[in-house]
Amino acid sequence: MKAAENISKKLKDRFGASVVKTESPYDSRLFVEIKKEAVKEISNELIALGARYLVGVGYDSIKRDGNLGMVHTFSFDRDDLFVCIKMAAPADSPVFDSITPDIPNAGWSEREYMDLLGMKFTGHPKPKRLILADDWPEGIYPLRKEVPHNLMPPAAEDVAYQLDEAPEGTTTVPIGPFHTCLHEPAHFAVYVDGETIKGCDYRGFMTHRGIEKLCTTEVSYNEVPFIAERICGICGSVHATSYSQAVELAAGLKISRRAEFIRTIMLEIERLHSHLLWLGVAGHLIGFDTVFMQAWRIRERIMWLAERITGNRKTYGMIVIGGVRRDLTPENIQELLDVLKKVEEEMLVVQKAIIGDTAIHKRTRGVGCITKEEAVKWSLVGPVARARGVDIDTRRDHPYAAYDEMKFDVPVFDSCDVWATVLVRIVETFEAIKIIRQAVDKMPAGPVMTEFDEAVKPLVHSISAVEAPRGEVVHYVITGEDNRADRWRVRAPTYPNLQGVPMMLLNDQFADFPIILGSIDPCFSCTDRVEVVDVRSGRVSVVGRNELEELSRKKNTGVN
Amino acid sequence: MLAKLCKKAFPKSLWVYHCNSGACNGCDIEILNVLTPYYDVERFGIKLVASPRHADVMLLSGAVTRPTLPLVKKAYDAMPSPKLVFGIGSCATGGGSWFDCYNVTGGGDKAIPVNYYIPGCPPRPEAIIYGVALALGLVDKKVAPVELKQMEFPIDAYERNRAWENRNVIYKLLDD
Repeated sequence: MKAAENISKKLKDRFGASVVKTESPYDSRLFVEIKKEAVKEISNELIALGARYLVGVGYDSIKRDGNLGMVHTFSFDRDDLFVCIKMAAPADSPVFDSITPDIPNAGWSEREYMDLLGMKFTGHPKPKRLILADDWPEGIYPLRKEVPHNLMPPAAEDVAYQLDEAPEGTTTVPIGPFHTCLHEPAHFAVYVDGETIKGCDYRGFMTHRGIEKLCTTEVSYNEVPFIAERICGICGSVHATSYSQAVELAAGLKISRRAEFIRTIMLEIERLHSHLLWLGVAGHLIGFDTVFMQAWRIRERIMWLAERITGNRKTYGMIVIGGVRRDLTPENIQELLDVLKKVEEEMLVVQKAIIGDTAIHKRTRGVGCITKEEAVKWSLVGPVARARGVDIDTRRDHPYAAYDEMKFDVPVFDSCDVWATVLVRIVETFEAIKIIRQAVDKMPAGPVMTEFDEAVKPLVHSISAVEAPRGEVVHYVITGEDNRADRWRVRAPTYPNLQGVPMMLLNDQFADFPIILGSIDPCFSCTDRVEVVDVRSGRVSVVGRNELEELSRKKNTGVN
Repeated sequence: MLAKLCKKAFPKSLWVYHCNSGACNGCDIEILNVLTPYYDVERFGIKLVASPRHADVMLLSGAVTRPTLPLVKKAYDAMPSPKLVFGIGSCATGGGSWFDCYNVTGGGDKAIPVNYYIPGCPPRPEAIIYGVALALGLVDKKVAPVELKQMEFPIDAYERNRAWENRNVIYKLLDD
């Protein structure tokens, strides 16, 4: 029996009338419509069956049926199956049961829709604002359809961040929004006892640009891949691929095999450059700048190669709905192989140097430890999970593009610390080289674009996942009218991983904060894409208490 | 004129503070990239510093979002004068494709006075180095100002023919 049928039968047997409708447009996708009262039991049952929580998607269908919809998505990694449970509540009392007490990773998803759609989740352990600013007026929910994308309510003054109370006997050390160990604006309040971290609270979502709202109001299907690339400057192709796949699934469009191979090659080139980038940044964060310089020197060849192939060093603009924009010429392929050879040689030297280096061992071993059980419970993804012995990789578990034909190993380490994340990433660079070589060998001839003339049917739900260098990217698309999506939800890998950071920090040394945070390869711009944060005034009062080093220095000298 | 002033105001090594006001990481990485061996801006004495207090130049990347607007202003105020601001990338130049979104205030000029713009999505490391070097008067501007003159229509056929003739004469001379 197929996995989808199996799960849907189990749910129907167990919950009977609570399961309204099941639908499986593809073998690997199962959409279950349920009554909202049963969400807790059903999601717990799915977790008990071995599912992993992905993300919650809230959407507005007030115009159609007066409801606000909520979808919780799960992944069965061993059966190549995504399960999405859909429910709805009337817009005048959008109350759902919170599943966060059992599935902690759902916490942010639920808080997101409290802010953006005005939903209520009963039993949520931390029903604070996550996304909207602390001074954003109550009752304006930017993701609702009646709110225009360029609405700008005036900001209030003197509103503080709503941070957790510091635990007894600890001191709060604020880090950020602008800080040397953060490459993007975000605020961490780290509670320390002496040098030991006893807790941490996060106020981020500062690089939010409202992309999801913009792309569902102003931009059409075919333009979104280019904006999706600009969600993140490092793993742009990943977002474009994932979005395109979701739309292609919804439209029932099968793209040419050659285009799938080219997508695979682009994704792996991106993984190579991103892992080398991370290696360099990690070296920089522990004060080992030689690693930074060497890793980025090696990486530069890949950037040139990408420019030769696509015309740009980053934000390639290669991937569109229906295929890719440019073909790989024989010259490109020859150069690609030459570069891979060179990179492989140089990576072997770097690998040897890193693995034998006592300074790196001392800074990363036994740092940022969490157990495998905790990693599973918090649904961590990517190298962060694989370094904790969790054997998941979307490329293998839910094959997309041409990964079903590729042979590669998924490195899993069980030392559960930052060192293991270094190892995972080093091994993955070699695996990426292996995959590109296979793809070049097996690439069939054919067109790179598949035209699609019909209009996409509205209100089709579709989900697609792609393994980014940092972990798994999930895109959820609800198709709409006017040639644009009705709802588009992006979940970047940093979204679940960042929720696990407070746990990794617990009982570690404060000096290890940068590398522990760095070990998840945080990418706030991906994570923040939908959220609205307004802390412009929060700033003032925070400065009053204690603020990051530079700013208090500024304050003391009277410059303001 | 500004270039001459820059030469006078910043005669020694430049210390640069990098301020991310809501960028997608693309520009930030290209900024970091100019420090690495291939581009190596330290040969011009340019150094990235952690605090705006130490900096002569601010490299602003990304559209200024609502939450970062006051923070960018504060970082700018913290820099000692004379100071220069570079807007790196399309977002810092004009707000990017999300210039009017609900959480974006716009380009870098909405927050602080920006002296030079280096557009691109993201700008190449060469472009960043060239832009900074140009501002400091280390290199000459490669493009001369172009003066456009409106032709009168219809273009005089006689004049065009004469131009052809003249050119052909030159070719003949070359042949000889």
